[in-house]
Amino acid sequence: MSITITIDKKPFAAEKGETILQVAERNGISIPTLCFNQKITKTTSCFVCLVKDAKTGRFVPSCAMEVADGMQIESDTPEVWDMRKTALNLMLSEHSGDCEAPCTIACPAHAQVEEYVREGKKGNLLEALKLIKERIPLPMSIGRVCPRFCEKECRRNVVDKEPVAINDFKRLAADMHYDSYMEEMKPFTGKKVAIVGAGPAGLSVAYFLRLNGVASDLYDKMPQPGGMLRYGIPEYRLPKGILDKEIAHFAKMGGIAIHCNKELGKDLAIEDLQKKYDAVAITVGSWKSSAAGVEGEELAVGGIQYLEKIALAGWKGDNPGKTIVIGGGNTAMDCLRTSVRLGSKEVTCFYRRTEAEMPAEKIEIHEAKEEGVKFEFLVAPVKLRKENGRLVLTSQRMTLGEPDASGRRKPVPVPNSDFDTVADTVIAAIGQKTIAPKGVKANKWGDVEVSKENCRMEGSIYAAGDCVSGPATVVEAVAGARRTALAILAQIESKEFKEPYLLNVSRGKWQSLKTDDLVFLKDPIERKRTPQRLIPEHDRVTTFKEVSLTYTQAEITKEGERCIECSCTAKGDCSLKKHSETYTAKPDAMVGEKPNFGYDVRHPEIILDRGKCIKCGVCVKVCGEVVNQNLLGFKFRGFGTHVDTAFSQPLPSQLCRDCGKCIGECPVGALDWKLKK
Amino acid sequence: MKITRIKIGAGSCGIAAGATEVVDYFKKEVRDIPIVEVGCIGHCYAEPLIEVETDKGSVFYEKVLPKKEHLDRILGLKDEGRLAIRSQRSEREKIKVLALAGRIDMTSMDEYLANGGYEGLKKALAMKPADIVEEVKMSGLRGRGGGGFPTGMKWSFLAAKEAKEKILICNADEGDPGAFMDRSLMESVPHQVLEGMLIGALATGATKLFIYCRAEYPLAIRNLKIAIEQIYKHGLNKLNARTVEFRLKEGAGAFVCGEETAMIHSLEGKRGTPRFRPPYPTDSGYHGHPTAINNVETFGNVPLILREGGKAFASVGTQGSKGTKLFALAGDVKYPGLAEVPMGVTIGDIVYEVGGAEKGSVKAVQIGGPSGGCIPADKFDAVVDYDSLKSLGAIMGSGGLIVIGNDRCMVETARYFLEFTARESCGKCTFCRIGTKRMLEKLEKITGGRGTEEDVAFLADLGPKIIKGSLCGLGQTAPNPVISTLRYFRHEYDAHTKDHKCPALQCNQLSDVKIHLDKCIKCGLCIKTCPVHAISKEFVVDNAICTRCNSCIEVCPKKTISRVEKGTGYYGKSGGN
Ligand SMILES: Cc1cc2nc3c(=O)[nH]c(=O)nc-3n(C[C@H](O)[C@H](O)[C@H](O)COP(=O)(O)OP(=O)(O)OC[C@H]3O[C@@H](n4cnc5c(N)ncnc54)[C@H](O)[C@@H]3O)c2cc1C
Ligand SMILES: Cc1cc2nc3c(=O)[nH]c(=O)nc-3n(C[C@H](O)[C@H](O)[C@H](O)COP(=O)(O)O)c2cc1C
Ligand code: SF4
Ligand code: SF4
Ligand code: SF4
Ligand code: SF4
Ligand code: SF4
Ligand code: FES
Ligand code: FES
Repeated sequence: MSITITIDKKPFAAEKGETILQVAERNGISIPTLCFNQKITKTTSCFVCLVKDAKTGRFVPSCAMEVADGMQIESDTPEVWDMRKTALNLMLSEHSGDCEAPCTIACPAHAQVEEYVREGKKGNLLEALKLIKERIPLPMSIGRVCPRFCEKECRRNVVDKEPVAINDFKRLAADMHYDSYMEEMKPFTGKKVAIVGAGPAGLSVAYFLRLNGVASDLYDKMPQPGGMLRYGIPEYRLPKGILDKEIAHFAKMGGIAIHCNKELGKDLAIEDLQKKYDAVAITVGSWKSSAAGVEGEELAVGGIQYLEKIALAGWKGDNPGKTIVIGGGNTAMDCLRTSVRLGSKEVTCFYRRTEAEMPAEKIEIHEAKEEGVKFEFLVAPVKLRKENGRLVLTSQRMTLGEPDASGRRKPVPVPNSDFDTVADTVIAAIGQKTIAPKGVKANKWGDVEVSKENCRMEGSIYAAGDCVSGPATVVEAVAGARRTALAILAQIESKEFKEPYLLNVSRGKWQSLKTDDLVFLKDPIERKRTPQRLIPEHDRVTTFKEVSLTYTQAEITKEGERCIECSCTAKGDCSLKKHSETYTAKPDAMVGEKPNFGYDVRHPEIILDRGKCIKCGVCVKVCGEVVNQNLLGFKFRGFGTHVDTAFSQPLPSQLCRDCGKCIGECPVGALDWKLKK
Repeated sequence: MKITRIKIGAGSCGIAAGATEVVDYFKKEVRDIPIVEVGCIGHCYAEPLIEVETDKGSVFYEKVLPKKEHLDRILGLKDEGRLAIRSQRSEREKIKVLALAGRIDMTSMDEYLANGGYEGLKKALAMKPADIVEEVKMSGLRGRGGGGFPTGMKWSFLAAKEAKEKILICNADEGDPGAFMDRSLMESVPHQVLEGMLIGALATGATKLFIYCRAEYPLAIRNLKIAIEQIYKHGLNKLNARTVEFRLKEGAGAFVCGEETAMIHSLEGKRGTPRFRPPYPTDSGYHGHPTAINNVETFGNVPLILREGGKAFASVGTQGSKGTKLFALAGDVKYPGLAEVPMGVTIGDIVYEVGGAEKGSVKAVQIGGPSGGCIPADKFDAVVDYDSLKSLGAIMGSGGLIVIGNDRCMVETARYFLEFTARESCGKCTFCRIGTKRMLEKLEKITGGRGTEEDVAFLADLGPKIIKGSLCGLGQTAPNPVISTLRYFRHEYDAHTKDHKCPALQCNQLSDVKIHLDKCIKCGLCIKTCPVHAISKEFVVDNAICTRCNSCIEVCPKKTISRVEKGTGYYGKSGGN
């Protein structure tokens, strides 16, 4: 050792001829690299390995710059970080690809959709269930009731306007393997958390804590657990026998105890829980029907109260007679279709805007119509009164005006358009509100006030689910619950909870894409979406039997073949993504034109996706210097520079199949095997 | 007075102005007087140019046409059509390197020899290599290719190498738009450049001499080839005990191939992209052999140093910059062309005295081409010197000097240069390949009238980072035109972004065209000229149709059409905003 240099003011011995990077790595100083590769001569193209030579004031690529005695290197100053980040931002600004499939990004729980769809397609439904349960502890229920955020963003839409039936993969996987499946769990740590409310959020907090070795006691004011899954969502959409089976699994995991008929604020006090447990999670949902603010309102029944009563009776009840449901959301649909099943022959929905603005799922509206439900659009209630033992609802006609804050056009009354309708039952399903139990902080909407960063209300009290977000969906409750559980874990372990920054480069939403904008590993199969099979019409209007049937395994395989496998082949193995996350580089930091040099899938097993190429030049040198083939090279100059094969010929199929060396060295997903594992 | 010889300027600039036809005509018509084709004397604005040698000295005729009238005028040595070399110009210039350019037959070795040619080589042949290097060091000659690296020092590195093969390369890629100093030298006095190379070979022990010349210079290539043959015939490539050979390589015209490592790659038959240095070419260059690269003009200076001695050479110039410098003068000047000035003259001298620009008509010069920066008119007392230009944010560069008149937009000027470098980037480095593109996009947005203050801030932030994070001189200098215009002409950027105005009315999206009817004589030429029929019978320009092509402005005999601020022109119903 003849030379001494300093890196970040610390002296290190070095050998003449060594690079700064070598010295840094030997001493545990990490410097990002992309184009550096020991197998080939230096390419020095990416410039993410920049360090500053303090003596000359110049930035030098550490992978290429050799040490000199007395050199003073800065590798960890804000200026150096900024240069590296800028290099990464620039690369991302011309990068097109999809780190993650859009379905996975769209799923609030970020379940690995593409992966479980692939396993389902291959018939490995147990493997699929395992992937699903990494993020979704309630796949039987969610597999039935999820509004399918993922499918709304599914890229298959670009091909034939119909998404892959993603949610049905969950349902089949769960239905097939629920009894046998058990997750791997960490041993108990001795810590215990109290959870108030055993709905989806509460159960999920318990689940993610348990996976990490933390036990919990769940308290619920109702006689049975499940929250809205049990007392809101009707039997014909989610049979309670299935829900029981799903919840039974939590008991099987051990360490999760559910205590019913225990209400916070009545039977329990938050201070006691706080004392007794390492943390408390509030997951009490949104259980109060919103008021319509019209005269005689008390004569109507609230949507969830209506359903709750029937649920408590085991999905039985009297014929409600002529029924009017006010509202256009999913709760309204559930009330309408439940009323049909209880024997009412005249069930009508009153909604103040038009069908296009209805917040309910399209499929729900469609199925309600099939079951004989009538719709009155552009009407709003004015007054409700009782006359001769029956109800009389006075309504007025509406017309659509200017768009409101939600972007939907605001209904405005048509003067002198009042009319009366006689009914036996009027249900107001116009929204729900959270009732914050005693000792729980509420914000101006009545929801529990928590920190956005760590889901904490105060001290060791956390919250999740509808009671934080306001009425939402099961999968959102589950997603929030996971975050809350991780935040609780962090506090228990005395760590700071910080959600990692995950880079996602995206080609964009399918709505703005054409087939030419996409990269297909192979030609997409021509096949329409497998239709969902339903029970006979007669059973639908007379019983609470589950309306839809689970796909068969053969159907799931056929459906899985429709997936075009959108995510990057280099998932989990991309240095650009890794460094971008470390340096918080963003794809939209420096927007500008993205070049489109297309992709090459002519080789049966290899893809060259130029949109992801960072022009590091490694493949060119690997093929030239290591393999001695020179099958790859750069074309054109400036922003038009891109990798191509020699004379634009396809890569030789046998030679490259056996070699694949360039693929192994490509730092991103530009040169890769087509086959995804 | 008796005419002894007629010399016709037939370098590229002369040919472009029609010299070939003049040569043919004169050769056909004149039998008794020798007619020779010479290179360029620098007064390109006056081409085709003829020098008539008489027993009482020379007379010059400008803008000569292949016509009897012109021929008679010349043969009669009439006053009409003579080129008057203005005293302002000749006082500022110092013709040394160009002394023989345009004065001797481009292809005659004898003439070169007769005028002191190869005297430098002869001296060098009698010297020890180390003494030649010493002489060059003493001269203070710095590389004329742009970097300004001391030539003697570079040669001493190569000389110190023990190797079987050593390479000396003449960089004749001359890629900056607007520069033509090297072309002119190679065309006019190829032997002077080659003599410099032979002296270099003696000094450094180089075994092979390469010339990398851009293929767009066919005349230079022809003349070099002829000269090389003549050298071989005369045995001048025998350097005492050994013989060296020349190899002429025609480059494909990529600007970046002027960068030394890219040039070496290109000579090796690889893609012309630069590589990281060290190792420097003098340690490992062409196929690993020690290699030194010098510019054409650098080599052109070397015979003078040997002939007159390093010390005498160093008597011209400033402390840090010795000798003279060639400039290709272009843009808004009266007398564009090639100028040779001593180091230390002011920019103002070149612009006003040599170029003949009117005081007050010029707002800046761009010096150093796309790699350089602008110098505003109020700093024109800056002197031509490597270091002082650098301190102003410009560079000496290879010698491109573009004069920017008041009616040009500095944002557009910056955009123009950046467009060139972004296109010419070899595409290797992240900062250069993508960064210049992103800057160009912002400049296009600003000149397009859609720019914001954030866009200007983006340019100011990214520019210096591209300089710091690029591998070679192209990326390391590409943002200079933007940074220097931001430094001196920030108000023009602000006018575009804040007020949506182009003060120079050059940006099409920010200006309208208007006929000022008070002076209009209704000749109708504008109406006939307008390619998109935007001018009505009433002589009103419809700016909704007008493409801002300037045809009408140029054609109007009364100069009564001009650009005006956006929104102050007339807009018809047919479209527009
Ligand atoms: C009619 C209806 C239909 C719906 N349909 C769908 C659907 O199809 N798909 C979908 O994704 N989502 C649907 N939702 C929404 C979904 O059910 C909720 O978003 C989800 O259940 C929220 O979960 P949670 O755990 O936050 O709250 P909840 O499910 O409401 O659970 C809260 C639990 O807390 C308990 N609790 C409340 N207060 C106390 C207290 N003081 N002490 C102790 N326990 C208490 C309650 O008993 C309940 O068990 C529907 C909602 C309704 C009302
Ligand atoms: C992008 C780029 C283009 C260049 N083009 C030229 C050129 O056309 N001619 C030239 O002599 N030097 C050019 N150079 C400079 C050369 O790299 C080198 O410094 C020069 O030829 C050395 O000769 P000198 O020391 O005699 O100046 C260029 C440099 C860069 C970075
Ligand atoms: S190559 Fe890397 S950054 Fe690009 S899409 Fe794939 S994973 Fe994302
Ligand atoms: S096609 Fe497959 S991978 Fe792509 S969004 Fe749809 S389900 Fe996800
Ligand atoms: S797989 Fe083919 S292209 Fe890649 S390195 Fe090997 S031979 Fe070259
Ligand atoms: S394809 Fe080649 S040049 Fe592009 S990122 Fe991969 S290894 Fe680098
Ligand atoms: S700075 Fe530009 S031209 Fe130079 S090597 Fe890098 S990309 Fe190529
Ligand atoms: S330049 Fe050093 S790793 Fe790319
Ligand atoms: S959106 Fe992913 S589970 Fe519904």
